[in-house]
Amino acid sequence: MSSEGVLRLEKVIHTLMATSGNKNINAKLVLLGDVGAGKSSLVLRFVKGQFIEFQESTIGAAFFSQTLAVNDATVKFEIWDTAGQERYHSLAPMYYRGAAAAIIVYDITNQASFERAKKWVQELHSQGNPNMVVALAGNKADLLEARKVAAEEAQAYAQENGLFFMETSAKTATNVNDIFYEIAKRLPRVQPAQNPSGMVLMDRPAERVASASCCS
Amino acid sequence: MYGTHSKRDLSLEFQSQIPILRPSIHARRANLTVKFQDLYGFTVEGNVDDVNVLNEVREKVRKQGRVWWALEASKGANWYLQPSISEGIDLKSSLKFSVLANAITLKRLIRKGIPPVLRPKVWFSLSGAAKKKSTVPESYYNDLTKAVEGKVTPATRQIDHDLPRTFPGHPWLDTPEGHAALRRVLVGYSFRDSDVGYCQGLNYVAALLLLVMKTEEDAFWMLAVLLENVLVNDCYTTNLSGCHVEQRVFKDLLAKKCPRIATHLESLEFDVSLVATEWFLCLFSKSLPSETTLRVWDVLFYEGAKVLFHVALAIFKMKEEELLLTHHVGDVINILQKTTHHLFDPDELLTVAFDKIGSMTTNTISKQRKKQEPAVMAELDQRLRRLNSIKVDEN
Ligand SMILES: Nc1nc2c(ncn2[C@@H]2O[C@H](COP(=O)(O)OP(=O)(O)OP(=O)(O)O)[C@@H](O)[C@H]2O)c(=O)[nH]1
Ligand SMILES: [Mg+2]
Repeated sequence: MSSEGVLRLEKVIHTLMATSGNKNINAKLVLLGDVGAGKSSLVLRFVKGQFIEFQESTIGAAFFSQTLAVNDATVKFEIWDTAGQERYHSLAPMYYRGAAAAIIVYDITNQASFERAKKWVQELHSQGNPNMVVALAGNKADLLEARKVAAEEAQAYAQENGLFFMETSAKTATNVNDIFYEIAKRLPRVQPAQNPSGMVLMDRPAERVASASCCS
Repeated sequence: MYGTHSKRDLSLEFQSQIPILRPSIHARRANLTVKFQDLYGFTVEGNVDDVNVLNEVREKVRKQGRVWWALEASKGANWYLQPSISEGIDLKSSLKFSVLANAITLKRLIRKGIPPVLRPKVWFSLSGAAKKKSTVPESYYNDLTKAVEGKVTPATRQIDHDLPRTFPGHPWLDTPEGHAALRRVLVGYSFRDSDVGYCQGLNYVAALLLLVMKTEEDAFWMLAVLLENVLVNDCYTTNLSGCHVEQRVFKDLLAKKCPRIATHLESLEFDVSLVATEWFLCLFSKSLPSETTLRVWDVLFYEGAKVLFHVALAIFKMKEEELLLTHHVGDVINILQKTTHHLFDPDELLTVAFDKIGSMTTNTISKQRKKQEPAVMAELDQRLRRLNSIKVDEN
């Protein structure tokens, strides 16, 4: 019942580009980060090319999907945009379980959100899938006068922890598509058996998915 | 001013602004989507069919109103303001046939919907809010809001952050007046129960309560009775343990009541909590159209929290065949979101919720919660210890 009916998530936009005889990759991606860091705004910018000043606060998590063509493959991201409030963190494992990629978002004008981001990095390193591609996004990069977290500091932290780092702005769109492209490029292309990384490589349409298992 | 003392009928005010919608033949032909305000002032976007459904619903609401007036004429004014069945009528009075008969009539009547004009009065009484309020001095709410004015806590900071993010664009909620009223209710409650403080999600619930109850003070008491009596304990406290319990109970119920769906979703590795968590925390206010949400709340305040399970199961049940054809998690979510956003006819949902799902007693649900509690506590505890051990390693 959002008053912003236009922006509801119900409509998944497919920008599937024509690619010749190549791979389709499904990748689960999760966004984590402090309240108000701009997770939902980043996703909205990436999926719909929009920015709204007052984004409804996320409860639990919201789902989006978006497809990108990268080199020889199309990557369909299944994106979970999670809620930032501390008490919601107990729900996070449900969303990052089996994820192929994560974007950890902080707000460059808010030091506490950067500290919170580091905690997420640790949690993913200890709990998440070890092959997960993890990006660190310093968001609200348009608010330069209010900057509290130096880009160099975040860059150094990212390097130490094997993440890749970008400063983004959901408002001006700076680096938003880029960060998703970069993730898409880094996703492992070959799928190990049993699919532990949360990715499904599809050469054929998915008819083979077990529908025989449902009976009552 | 929309303060404690003013009794403006917001819902009626919105209603009077809305002309009956008659989609033009052109709109019909082009299958256009139209934007309009619903009964409670929310902007809805829908196609011509949706508009027609909403007009029918409006007509049904009017008819249902006439049923209530007729009963009032025969049974006397306020006949419905008696303790609910679930609360347990004491034995002596239940032996009185008329009391029992009234209770049965009322249950049936409430499932068909409380007329919007009667909602504040009926909710306030049947939910137990009136009783709760009567146990404290008359000035409790005013004293509370005065006492906490100007205080800054983590809860108030989070509330301030969320005020403009609560149904942005709503013609009353998203005004300085609306923000101020919502702020007083949420801040007041955060001081009343410091274990809950403020949990995101409550902003949506309180906002809708304000729209229905018309006075801030009554909205506050409805929020209190909801969190303290109607819902399971600890739904909104620090680690949302109550919410985790409800989710586990829900998964069990789905497996029992809709086994084909449960098996299929499991094969897709789709955890129903991915979508149901928001339903339970916002009591459907972020997913269902406003009148449909309020119809769910009508029953919630009379029959208790088991209603949330009925409704959540019904949403899956309604789309059983479609869901069984899905191959991807994304498709499942799209079906569910599309369904909830277009459920403009509350009866369509509630008929499935109560007739097709089968009965569940509050008692059995309580037992199931008890069964799940230890597992939830263990899981939360384990996570906490794991995270703490990371910190230790660091030093
Ligand atoms: N200037 C500026 N503001 C931004 C940017 N991204 C987000 N915001 C604003 O920051 C606020 C919070 O953004 P959200 O996207 O809702 O943040 P979130 O991380 O999803 O928050 P939760 O859902 O509560 O966890 C909104 O008012 C946005 O308008 C940005 O790049 N620049
Ligand atoms: Mg968000």
